[in-house]
Amino acid sequence: MTTAAMTCTRLTIFTVAGILLQIIGLSIFVFGFFPVKPTLSGVSGSESYRDPFCDSSLISNESELHHPAKLRLLYQELSGISSKYDRLILMVIDGLPAEFVLGKDGKPPEKVLKESMPYTQSLLANGDAIGYHAKAAPPTVTMPRLKAMVSGAIGGFLDVAFNFNTQALLDDNILGQFFRIGWKMVMLGDETWLKLFPGLFMRHDGVSSFFVKDTVQVDRNVSRHLPDELNSDDWNLLILHYLGLDHVGHTGGRNSPLMPAKLKEMDDIVRTMHLRAMMDRSHDQGQTLLIIVSDHGMTENGNHGGSSYEETDSLMLFIGLNSNISDYASATNNVAFQVDLAPTLALLFGVPIPKNNVGVLVPGTLCSLRDFEQLRALELNSWQLLRLMLAQIQSSSFPRVSCNCFLDGTCEGLDLDISECSGDKEKQLICLFRNAAALHGIWKSKKSTESSSTMEDFSRALDAYNTFLKTASEWLASKTTEKPVLLLGLGVSAMLLSCFICGTVFLSLFKEVYHEPKDRVCSLSNLLNLEEVFIFALLLILVISMGSSSMVEEEHYIWHFMVSTFHLLLLFKTAKSFKISKGMNILRDFKFGSIFSLLISGRLLRGWHQGGVNWTYLPDISKWLVQGGSGYVKWIQLISIILVIGLGLYTLFRTGSNRKGVRILAFGFSTCGFLVLLHVGRYQDELSTGFGATVTVKVIYYLLSISSIGASLVLPWSALNKDKSFLAEVGDCLYLIGSAYILCWCLLQQLLQQPINSGPILLLLLQILAILCLSSSDFQVNEWVEITALYYMGMAGHFALGNSNTLATIDVAGAFIGISSHSTILSGILMFMITYASPMLFLLSLVMYIGANLRNHSNSTISTHRETSLGQILKLKLGFPCLVPLCINSILLTAYTVVLLLMRNHLFVWSVFSPKYLYVCATTLCTYIGVCIVAATVTYTFYVTTFLRSNRTRHNNS
Amino acid sequence: MKEAKKKKKPETSIGVSISALGAFSVYLITGLFLAVGFWVIRNIYFVDLISDPSLTLRLLWIIEFPIVVVIYSLFRRNPEKCSYFRAVGRSIVGLISGALINAFGAVSLGAPIGMQSLPKTIHWSFLMSVFTVVPASAVFGASWTDWHRVFASLKPTGNVEYMILIPAYGAIIGGWFGAWPMPLDWERPWQEWPICVCYGAIGGYIVGQMVSLSLMILLRKHKILKLA
Repeated sequence: MTTAAMTCTRLTIFTVAGILLQIIGLSIFVFGFFPVKPTLSGVSGSESYRDPFCDSSLISNESELHHPAKLRLLYQELSGISSKYDRLILMVIDGLPAEFVLGKDGKPPEKVLKESMPYTQSLLANGDAIGYHAKAAPPTVTMPRLKAMVSGAIGGFLDVAFNFNTQALLDDNILGQFFRIGWKMVMLGDETWLKLFPGLFMRHDGVSSFFVKDTVQVDRNVSRHLPDELNSDDWNLLILHYLGLDHVGHTGGRNSPLMPAKLKEMDDIVRTMHLRAMMDRSHDQGQTLLIIVSDHGMTENGNHGGSSYEETDSLMLFIGLNSNISDYASATNNVAFQVDLAPTLALLFGVPIPKNNVGVLVPGTLCSLRDFEQLRALELNSWQLLRLMLAQIQSSSFPRVSCNCFLDGTCEGLDLDISECSGDKEKQLICLFRNAAALHGIWKSKKSTESSSTMEDFSRALDAYNTFLKTASEWLASKTTEKPVLLLGLGVSAMLLSCFICGTVFLSLFKEVYHEPKDRVCSLSNLLNLEEVFIFALLLILVISMGSSSMVEEEHYIWHFMVSTFHLLLLFKTAKSFKISKGMNILRDFKFGSIFSLLISGRLLRGWHQGGVNWTYLPDISKWLVQGGSGYVKWIQLISIILVIGLGLYTLFRTGSNRKGVRILAFGFSTCGFLVLLHVGRYQDELSTGFGATVTVKVIYYLLSISSIGASLVLPWSALNKDKSFLAEVGDCLYLIGSAYILCWCLLQQLLQQPINSGPILLLLLQILAILCLSSSDFQVNEWVEITALYYMGMAGHFALGNSNTLATIDVAGAFIGISSHSTILSGILMFMITYASPMLFLLSLVMYIGANLRNHSNSTISTHRETSLGQILKLKLGFPCLVPLCINSILLTAYTVVLLLMRNHLFVWSVFSPKYLYVCATTLCTYIGVCIVAATVTYTFYVTTFLRSNRTRHNNS
Repeated sequence: MKEAKKKKKPETSIGVSISALGAFSVYLITGLFLAVGFWVIRNIYFVDLISDPSLTLRLLWIIEFPIVVVIYSLFRRNPEKCSYFRAVGRSIVGLISGALINAFGAVSLGAPIGMQSLPKTIHWSFLMSVFTVVPASAVFGASWTDWHRVFASLKPTGNVEYMILIPAYGAIIGGWFGAWPMPLDWERPWQEWPICVCYGAIGGYIVGQMVSLSLMILLRKHKILKLA
C-alpha cells in the first residue's frame, strides 16, 4: 500500500474535486431534466386572428402602433366575436378543493359543507352558475398554479423551488393582454400577484401568506375594500385572492372546525358580489362575469404540493354566464383543466390567447355565444394551439401548406376527404385540424346559401374542433416534458465520474485504514462478517428499490425494516460474544441495554407517523395522541424537552472534566431549554404569532447559535490537561463539542418541529447516545459500518418525523417561527432545517463519534507511533469518517439520477419520481453541509490543540 | 473452551444420533403434519390463512407442536439423566419463551401492534417458536453452551444439530424475506401481516430442511472419504 498512500492534502483535493464535479453535474442535469423555459417567446397580437399558415410578417409590429382603445377595437373586429361582458371579477380561494362545493363522483358535498355555502349552492341549483373540477397540474403550490391559470401554460416543475421567491411573470399571459387593451385592474389579496405582475394594477392591497396561523385577519384585510370597489365603476378586472381557507387547512386539516365558518364567509362574499356587482348593473351597462377559482386542493391534513386527487381537484366556477343549465347535476358534474381558464377568458373578453397556452376553451362557456361565434372561438383556439405545435414539430415532417388552403380546399399533398385520422401523432393532429377546418368551411358556405339544414353541419364542425383541441392539448402538455439529450448525458456522466472519484478515494483510504497493523487482528477475524455484507447489500437494495414507484412512495418501510434488522444483527453479534462463564459483565449489560433501547426506540419511531401514500389512514401513535386530546401532546412535549436537556447535560458532564467552559455551556443550554419550555407553554397555542413569542424565539436562536459556535471555537483553547496524550485530549474536546452540537440541534428542533414531533426528537437523541455507547465499548464493528449505520438511521429518522417523498409533507407552518418580516432565505433555511432534522442530527453526531473514537484508541494504539504526522492522523480519523456519508450519498444520488432518466416516460414521473429527486438533491445538500461542519470542527480542534501543545513544550524548554 | 469440547464429545455419543434417512423421515412426518394441519383447516373449519389468519395459525401450531416435541424429545441430550417427560416439559417452556423472542423480533421489525393484530402476532410467534426454538429446547434443555455453540457460533456437530439449526434459520430468513412484498401497492389480500411472512417462514423452513438433508449426505461422504 505504499504507492496508494495518499497525503492528507491530496485526499482533500480529490474529494473536493469530486464533490464539485458532482454539484456541476447535478445542476446540469436538473436544468436539463426539469423544463424551465416555455417554448414560444413574445406576446400574441393581432396575428393570432389569422390562419397560422398565412404570412403574418406584415402585421407583426402592428400592436405597438395602436392606442389601447384602438387595439381593443381592432381585436374585436378581427375576432368577430362580440364580447358581452365588460367586467370580470376573479375570486381566488386559495386551497379550496372543488369537492367542497361541487361534491365528488356525482354526489353532492357533505351536508355540513353544503349548508355552509347556501348562496353558492342555490346559484348552482338555479343554473346561474356552472362549476368545474379543474384539474391542476403538480406541483400544487400557489405560484405555479397562478401562472398556469393566467398563461395557460403548464409551468416547469422547478417552479416550486421558486415559490417563495416570486418573480415577475414575463411570459405572455391574460393579464398582460388585458393591460394592453387598456383595462383597469384592481387586486386585493395574496401579494404573490403583485410580485408576478408588478405595476399592472391600478389599485392593490397585498396581504402576505406569511403568517400561516392567521386565519381571520388575512381575509378581513381583503374584504374591507370590497364595498368601495363594488361601488366604484372604474375597474374592469377585480382580483380577490383569499388565503384564509388555505391557512385553515394548514393548521387544522380538511375537517378543521374552522372550515365551515370559513366557507360561510366565502359564501357571504360571493353573495355580496353577485347581488351588488352583477344584479344591479346588468340592465344599463355591459355585464359582469364572476369567476371563482381555487389554485389547488388540499390533502386530509391540509397540505398540498403533490398530485393526489385531493390536491389537484381545484375549483372553477362561472357565475353570470347565461347558460341554459337547469339541473344541479349538470351544473356541478363537469371536468376541465386549470389551464383552460386562460383561453376561455381571452375568448370571452376579446383578447388574443396567450402564446404558450395549452388549454382549451371550457365548453360550458360557449352557450353564451351565437353559432358562428362559437365556431370562430374554437377556430381561434385551434390556430393558437397549432402555432404552438408548429414551433415544436420539425418543419421537415410537416407538409407544406399554403394560406387558407384548408378552407378553400386547395392544399397540396393532402387528400381532402374527411377521413379517419391515424398514423403518428403529428400527422394525426394535422389531419384532425384539417377535418375541423374543412367542416367549418362547409358550414360557412352552406350558411350563406341555405339556412335550414345547417344544424347537423354545425354540430359536426363543433365536434371536430373539440376533438382536435382535446388531442392537441394533451399532446402539447406531454410535449413539455421533452428533454435536451446533450445536457442530460453531460450531467449524468459528470455525476458518474464524481461517484467514481469518490469511490476510488474511499477504497484507497479503506485499504490503508484496514491494513494498518493495529487493525489487522480485527479485520482478519471479521473479513466477511455479517454486518458488513448486510450494510453493503442494503445499499444495493436501496438502489434497486428506487426503480419501483410504490417503493419510492413507501420508502420509509425499507429504511425502518433494514435499520431494525441491522440492530437485530448487532444483538446477534453481542449474543455471539456473550459467554456465561465470564459472568454478567457490566460492559455487556451496557451493550444489551443499548441495543434494546435502539430496537425499542426504533420501533416507536416507526410507529409514530404512518407515512407514505397508500397507508396513511392506518392508526399510528401521533393520531392516537392527537385524538386523546391536546393535553397528551403537551405532556409528551414537556417531558421530551426536559429529557433532552437532561440527556444533553449528562453527556456534557460525562467526560469527567469540570472545566469552566463546560459549566458555562451547560448554563447556556439550560437557559435555552427553559426558554423553549416557556415558548411551548405560553405561545404555541395562540394562533396568531404575537410579539412576545417572536422575541422569545429570536432570543433562543441567538443563544443557541452563540453557544454552539462558541463551544466549537473556545473549547479547544481551554484544554489544559497535561497528563493525557495528544489524541485523548483532542478526543475529549471533540466529544464535548459534538455533544454541544447535538444538544443545540435537538433544542432547536424541539422549538421548530410540530408539537407531535417532540417525542421522535427525543428518541433520535436516545438512538445516537445508544450507538455511541455501543461503539465506545469495544464493539468489534468496523468504523465504516458504524458510520454507514448512522447515516441509515438518520434517513430512517427522517421518515419517522413524518416526512415522505411527496412535497405535501413539508412543514410550511414551522418555517415562519420567529421571523418578523418576510424573508425568503430565512424561511427557506428554517424549512430545510425542519425537514432534514434527523439526517443532520446524525451527521453532527459524527463529531462526537470521532471524538469518542480518538479517546478509545489513544491509550492503545496510536500512542505507540507518536511520530505520525498530523496530516496522517487527520486523514485516517477525519477523512475516512467523512468520506463514508459522502460516498453513500454520491452512490444514491447517481443511481437515482439514472433511475429518473430511465423513468422519464413513466406515468408517475412528475408525481412520484420528480419530487423524490428533489428530496434526493436536498439530502445531498444536507450531507455536504453536515460533512463540512464536521470537517471544519475537527480540523480546527486538531490545529488548535497542536498549537497549544507546541507552545507548552516551548515554555517547558525555556 | 477446550474443556467444554472434551466434555461434549462423550455427550454427543451418549445422545441418540440419527442417519440422513432418519432425518428424512422426521422431516417427512413434520411436513405431513403441516399438510394435515392445512387440510383440517380447509376442510373442517372452512377457512384459510387469508380469510382467518389467527385461527389458521393457531390450529397449525397446535397440530404441529406435539409431533415436533414427540420426535425431537427422542434425541434429547443425556437420555439417562433426563427423562422423556422432562424433555417434553422443557420444550413447553421453550415454546413460550421462543414465542416471546419471536414476537419481540417481529414487533421490532415493524409488525403492527394493536388489538386486531395482537392474536395474529401471538399465534404467528407460536408457530415460529415451533419451527425454531422448540426442537432445540427439547434436545438441549437449558444448556447455554450448546445453544451458544449451535445458534450463535454456527458450529453444529452431528446430524441432530443440523436438523435443529438449519431449518430454524431457514424459517427466520424466509420470514424476513416474506415481509418484503408487504409495502408494495399490489392490493392483494395476502400482503397483510402475517400472511406473507408466514408463507415465507414455512417456505424457508422447508428449504432449510432440504439444505440440511443435503448437507448431512455431503458431509457423510466427506467423512467417509477422509476415513478412507
